[in-house]
Amino acid sequence: MIALSDYLLLGALLFAIAVAGIFLNRKNVIILLMCIEIMLLAVNTNFIAFAHYFNNLSGQIFVFFILTVAAAEAAIGLAILVVLFRNRHTINVDDLDMLKG
Amino acid sequence: MELWSLLPVPVQSLIATVLIILPLLGVVAWYTYAERKVIGYMQVRIGPNRVGWRGLLQPIADALKLMMKEIIIPTQANKQLFLIAPMISIIPALAAWAVIPFDAGLVLADINAGLLYVLAMTSLGVYGVIIAGWASNSKYAFLGSLRAAAQIVAYEIAMGFALVGVLVAAGSLNFSAIVMAQQGGVWHWFWLPLLPLFGVYYISGVAETNRAPFDVAEGESEIVAGFHVEYSGMAFAIFFLAEYANMVLIAMLTTLMFFGGWLSPFQGIPVLESLFAGVPGIIWLLIKTFFFMFTFLWLRATFPRYRYDQIMRLGWKVFIPITIVWILVVALAVVFEVSPWWSATA
Amino acid sequence: MGFEKLLFYIFAAVTLFAASMVITRRNPVLSALYLVMAFVSSAALWLLLEAEFLGIVLILVYVGAVMVLFLFVVMMLNIDVATLRARFIHYLPLGLIVAGIMVFDMFLVLGPADFGLDQFAKPQSQPADYNNTAALGQILYTTYLYQFEIAAVILLVAIVAAIRLTLRHRPETKYQDPSNQVRVRKGSDRVRLITMPAEPVPPSLTATLGATHTEMTE
Repeated sequence: MIALSDYLLLGALLFAIAVAGIFLNRKNVIILLMCIEIMLLAVNTNFIAFAHYFNNLSGQIFVFFILTVAAAEAAIGLAILVVLFRNRHTINVDDLDMLKG
Repeated sequence: MELWSLLPVPVQSLIATVLIILPLLGVVAWYTYAERKVIGYMQVRIGPNRVGWRGLLQPIADALKLMMKEIIIPTQANKQLFLIAPMISIIPALAAWAVIPFDAGLVLADINAGLLYVLAMTSLGVYGVIIAGWASNSKYAFLGSLRAAAQIVAYEIAMGFALVGVLVAAGSLNFSAIVMAQQGGVWHWFWLPLLPLFGVYYISGVAETNRAPFDVAEGESEIVAGFHVEYSGMAFAIFFLAEYANMVLIAMLTTLMFFGGWLSPFQGIPVLESLFAGVPGIIWLLIKTFFFMFTFLWLRATFPRYRYDQIMRLGWKVFIPITIVWILVVALAVVFEVSPWWSATA
Repeated sequence: MGFEKLLFYIFAAVTLFAASMVITRRNPVLSALYLVMAFVSSAALWLLLEAEFLGIVLILVYVGAVMVLFLFVVMMLNIDVATLRARFIHYLPLGLIVAGIMVFDMFLVLGPADFGLDQFAKPQSQPADYNNTAALGQILYTTYLYQFEIAAVILLVAIVAAIRLTLRHRPETKYQDPSNQVRVRKGSDRVRLITMPAEPVPPSLTATLGATHTEMTE
C-alpha cells in the first residue's frame, strides 16, 4: 500500500529539484519560471495527497485555486518576458540592471 | 458471454481495445480513399480506379508504398524528437476513443468525466505538430507548426465553451448520460436547442484537425506542406493516420453530443418507430458519423482556404462570444425548464 | 494492491527524472518538453489519488495551454544559450548543497515514522458511482463561492494584463476591416468610372515605338 509519506517525500524531492534548478539556471528567466511551475506541482501533489488521506475535498479545492493563479502567473510572466526581450534583446538576468534611482 | 467474464480484466480490455482500434484504422484507411473519390467526383474527375474494383484496394497500395519508403532524417534535425513527434500525434488521437460509447453500455471505459478526458486528449495532439515542426529544423516546417499550434489553442477555447453548453444541457460529463439525455426523436436531440453551439463545435473541429478550409498549417501553396514537410515514408503516414483518426473522432463526437448518438431518429413517430425498432443502435451511430465524415470532405471540395488572420478573427471574435451568449441562454432554458427538452428530465 | 504501488513508483520515477532534466538541459525547448512530461506523469499520480477532475484539468490547462505558451515564447525568442549557461558548473555545488539540505530536512520531518500507514491509513476507495467532479463542484459553488469568484477576476485581470503588455500597434502593417468590406455597396463603392481626355503620345515615345515596330516587321 502506498503511504502518505511516499507522496510527501515525492513532493519534497520535486521541490528540492526545483530549488536546485533555480540555483543552477539563475540567469535564464524562462527556466526560472519553469522551476516555479515544478515547485507548484510539488505543492499541489502534497495537497492532493493530504486531501485523499484525510478524506477531505478542501485540499483539492486548494489545488484548483493554485492552478488558476499559476496559469495567470505564467501568462503574465511570459508576457513580461516577451516585452523584456523586445526592449532589451536579452533575457539574461545579469543584463537587467537598468533600474535608475 | 460467460467465457468473456471468465477472462482476467486486463485481457478483456486488451481485446476490447483491439476491437476498437482495428476497425478504426480500417475506417481511416478507406476514408482516405473516400476523400479522393468524393472530391474527384465533385471536381468531375474519377479519382483512383486502378487498384482493385473501382480502386477499392488503393489504401492498401498506398500503405505498402509508404512502408517501403525510407524515413529520411535531415542532418540538422533533432533525431529523437523528430522520430517521437509522429507517435505523440497518434497516441492521443487513438487514446480518446477509450471513452466513446458505441451503443448503450458498449464502451471501453465508462468514466464520469468522459467529456473532459476527450478534451484533454485532443489538446495533447498539438504537441506532435509543435515537436515535428521544431525538430525538423526547417523554416517551412517551423512556420507550419507555429500556425497550427496557435490555431489549435485558439479554437480549443471555442470548442471547450461549446462543450460547456452540452454539459449544461445534459447535466453530465459522461457520454452515455449525454446521449440518454437526448431521448425522444430528432427534435429532442441537442442540435436544435444548441444550434449555435453545434455550428461552432463542428467548425472548430474542422479547424482543430487542420482541415480545409482551415489548413494553413499545411498550406501546400504557401509553405509546401507545413509541419510535416521533412517527413517521409511511415513517419509521414503516421501523421496522416492521426489527422484522419481525429477527423473520425470529431465526427463521432458531434454525433454523440448533438445528434443523439445511437438513438433512432424515428423515436416517437408511430409507424416508423416500430418499423425500424430492430435496427441496432450502432448502425444509427455509424450512419450519422459517416455523414459528418462526408461533410469534412464536402467542405474541403467547396471552400477556398482561409487567410491566417481571418481564421484567428473568426475564432476569437466570432465563435467565443457566440458560445458565451448561448451558454447563458441554455442555462436559463434549463433553469426555467423550457419544453420539450428539459421539462421531462426535471 | 501491488499493481498500484508499481504504478506509483513508475510515475514517481518518471516525474523526478523529467524534473531533473528540466533544470539541466542546455536547450530551453527541451526543458519545456520535459516539463510537459513531468506534468503528464504527475497527472497520472493524481489519478492514483482519486482526484480525477484535477488530474484531467492539469493536462487540459497546463499541458494543453500553458506549456504551449511556454514553448511558443521559447521558440520565438532568439536566446543566446551559451552566455546563459556560462557559469552553470560554477553554481552546481551550491545548488546541490542547498537541495541536499532541504531533502535531508524534509525526510526527517515527513518520513514514514510520522506520516506512514500507521498514522494515516489508506482510506477506503470510493464506490463506483462516486463522481469526483460533482463532489468538487458541490463544495466549490457553496463553501468556496467567494474564492471562486475572486479566482475568476484574477483570470480576467491576467487576460487583460497579458494582452495589454504584448499588444503593439505597428503602423506599417495593413489590416483589412471585414465589416467595412461587407458594407460596400454595389454602386459607387466598388468601381468609380471617370471620363478623361486621351493623352497625346510624346514624340520620343513614337520614335522608339516606330523603331521596334519596323524591327519586328523585318
